Amino acid sequence: MIEWILGITILIIVLFLLFIFFGYYNRIIRLENRIDNSWAQIDVQLKRRSDLIPNLMETVKGYMKHEKETLENVTKARAGLMTAKTPQESITADNMLTGALKTLFAVAESYPDLKANQNFLNLQDELTNTENKIAYSRQHFNDTVLSFNNIVETIPGKWFAGFMNKKARDMLQIPDADRAVPKVAF
Amino acid sequence: MEKQLLMEDHIRKNKRDTVVICMLMIILLFSVIFAIGYILGLPPIFATAIGLPIALLYVGITFSFSVQSVIAAAKARPANPNNRNEKILIYKIEDMAIASGLPTPKVYVQDSKDINAFATGKKPEDSIICVTTGALELLNNEELEGVIGHEMSHIKNRDILVATVTVAVVGAIALLAEIALRSLLWGGGGRGKKGEGQIILLVIAIFFIILAPIFSRLVYLAISRRREYLADANGAYLTRNPEGLAKALEKIKADVIEQPRGSKTVAPLYIANPFKRALKNSIWSTHPPIDERIKRLRSM
Repeated sequence: MIEWILGITILIIVLFLLFIFFGYYNRIIRLENRIDNSWAQIDVQLKRRSDLIPNLMETVKGYMKHEKETLENVTKARAGLMTAKTPQESITADNMLTGALKTLFAVAESYPDLKANQNFLNLQDELTNTENKIAYSRQHFNDTVLSFNNIVETIPGKWFAGFMNKKARDMLQIPDADRAVPKVAF
Repeated sequence: MEKQLLMEDHIRKNKRDTVVICMLMIILLFSVIFAIGYILGLPPIFATAIGLPIALLYVGITFSFSVQSVIAAAKARPANPNNRNEKILIYKIEDMAIASGLPTPKVYVQDSKDINAFATGKKPEDSIICVTTGALELLNNEELEGVIGHEMSHIKNRDILVATVTVAVVGAIALLAEIALRSLLWGGGGRGKKGEGQIILLVIAIFFIILAPIFSRLVYLAISRRREYLADANGAYLTRNPEGLAKALEKIKADVIEQPRGSKTVAPLYIANPFKRALKNSIWSTHPPIDERIKRLRSM
């Protein structure tokens, strides 16, 4: 009789532990997939943004003949974005592009003809739009990384994560230098 | 973790409420049909055989067309990307969808001078956000973003399912009451002779007329004030900017409505009640008082 009770108790405990293990396993994998997916979202926007730049250059070229440096900075920043390899590199490069574009749009203020160009206005809207989208997808990426890290770094999730060989992920940071308002030279 | 669990509980409760409302509706319709059968002297089995399929079918149709009926009642139309204001709205909704990690809802616009917005749909994958043209004109980017964040949170919390279905059910009941009343008036236009059929219709009409307000109360409970505070807080979390929504609510409060549009049954869906600006806190108000919402947003 005693053996029976003992046996059933052990069985229940084992089943219980197994149940918890499955729960954590699935949650960790699900969050990891969500992180990958939200990175894919950022990547789509970054790609779209760099595709818009040649159009912008084409539109602006005719008007801004004396702003060689401003235009070159944008092209350079785009090239940086195209060659970035890691997510953090892409975000840093994109931030430089944002700065360069900000200067370009500020300079554009002094070209009334350009400001009246419908194509330019559309591109400006589009670029601001992708910029916001990148900011929000970065925010969502970091939110997801936070919930992943909260599980992976707290007990008992930490034990399961160690067993599954999963480590805490890095959030995407905005480099400090680029956070400053870009200088506008006329 | 705790927040996550709370959210899951909230979503589960919303799904349960939807089932309860549909069940109530089925029981209600079935009992009416059963009562007619009883009065006409039909055997109970016969009344059941007819009544149950009709009740199930009716509720099924109301459920599946709930989104369309809400859109129709609000007289909303899909946003036009060639209009700059509406294009910006589409962008903002895409932004908030990204921030919340949900699929992008369809964007609708309601032509109205009022500043308002609502979200509807049965699940996040198939949802709609509708904003009035007044809101597009009078709110700046930051404020519009706050409003969209609030609506996006309703979608994320699955508030839209229970709200939309309840609104559709109330609409359906109001319709039934009207049909019963109309046929009563039409039938009563004769020589004042009162047949058995007319008495039945009278009973049904009174039944539905009594029921409609009770179901409206249900809507008010379904879209409880707690859900609004929660959507405000989650919306502020999405935009990382509680001030945007707070400013938008201030504008809504100050805005004098010339002619509120849309039907009264849809009212609880909106970000702020378009018919009465609920400044006082009453048990039956669909939304918490705006001042209290602004205060809570500012203290975040």
